[in-house]
Amino acid sequence: MSITVFSIAVLATSIGAGAVGAILGLGGGILLIPILTVFYGVDLHYAMGASIVSVIATSSGAAASYLRTGLSNLRLGLFLVIATITGALVGALLAGVVPVRVLELILGLALSYSAFTTVKQLRDELPESLPDHPLALRFDLGGSYHDLRLQREVAYRAQRVVHGFAAMFGAGLLSGMLGIGSGAFKVLAMDYLMRLPMKVSTATSNFMIGLTAAASASIYWSRGDIHTLIAAPVAIGVLVGAYLGTTLMARMRNTTVRKLFLPIVVYLALSMIVRGLGLHLP
Amino acid sequence: MSALRSTFSVEQLVARVLLAGGLLGIALVLLGLGLYAAHGGFHHHVLLLNRPPAGNPPGVFVSVRQVLDGLRRRPIEPLAVSALGLVLLMVTPVVAVAAAVPAFWWMGDRRYTIIAAVVLAMLVLSATLAGSVH
Repeated sequence: MSITVFSIAVLATSIGAGAVGAILGLGGGILLIPILTVFYGVDLHYAMGASIVSVIATSSGAAASYLRTGLSNLRLGLFLVIATITGALVGALLAGVVPVRVLELILGLALSYSAFTTVKQLRDELPESLPDHPLALRFDLGGSYHDLRLQREVAYRAQRVVHGFAAMFGAGLLSGMLGIGSGAFKVLAMDYLMRLPMKVSTATSNFMIGLTAAASASIYWSRGDIHTLIAAPVAIGVLVGAYLGTTLMARMRNTTVRKLFLPIVVYLALSMIVRGLGLHLP
Repeated sequence: MSALRSTFSVEQLVARVLLAGGLLGIALVLLGLGLYAAHGGFHHHVLLLNRPPAGNPPGVFVSVRQVLDGLRRRPIEPLAVSALGLVLLMVTPVVAVAAAVPAFWWMGDRRYTIIAAVVLAMLVLSATLAGSVH
């Protein structure tokens, strides 16, 4: 494949990955890595290097827009990312000590339960209002945004802050130990545990994933995993896709975002269980 | 001053930093690719999609020094310009948090000044630890 054809194909793929990533609060690695390796024959290391660039580009593009419109909550993101980065650092230290397959199996089962709860919540446009959590008040973990779809201002405040913080630590821990992105876990923790509107959860996750990816980007860089000719079209495409994604997501219902998110959780749950059981699918 | 504070928002500042960093990074990536095309790179080179057993192919930079060397070379190394754009893109989230620290302080939000400073310190620490592994 010539460099020109390769670059155009990767650019087009990355626009799609950026749009999906921006809507669902994921880095896009879950889509990009398999496509780059299986369809374009890119070395796994270069694909992972391109993926880390993709996560940061999606996050910068999407969060810039979501912070302006109030969908992404800066204080909530900064508060929770402390738990995620701490978890990732601890996870990196524990990598190789704790059996990975047991972890993957536990994670797969936890995700299966999350998929089940996501199905139960499919019709909930906004979470029911509950009494304010003292920590949410203390750390100002709430806000409001103008919902373009509902045509009204939506106010929200985080619930079960301790649970959410612990889940974010767990997400970081798994990221550090398994080397996987944790955008989906962040979204689940905010949506299910902290009872935040789905759109706020994915938009805030978008801001957070950029920070955690930036923390680990230097390892990919110094290892020689970031190939400019592969990462460049990815970065351009993903940034364009993220812009399109934010425009689309602002006009979507929370229930629509959740429906789009469900297959990702199911896929992640199954792939973790398969890996945990040591099965090799063709 | 208080009127300025009432219209200022840390969120807007962080959003601007993220947007500016993203756009500037992409502009450099595009400029580098444009120069690469002008030098006939898209026609002359064959893209190696597999990592060679030793050394790095053209287009892979493993340190900022290598990128700067490429920028100083005459004629300039086009892919070093794109690599500089990628580096800028990768540090943008960290710069955004760094901008949030004084912004929260100026707004009188001491709690989030500390939280943003802790996040910044953790980002720098983990980037340093990650970089020193290899």
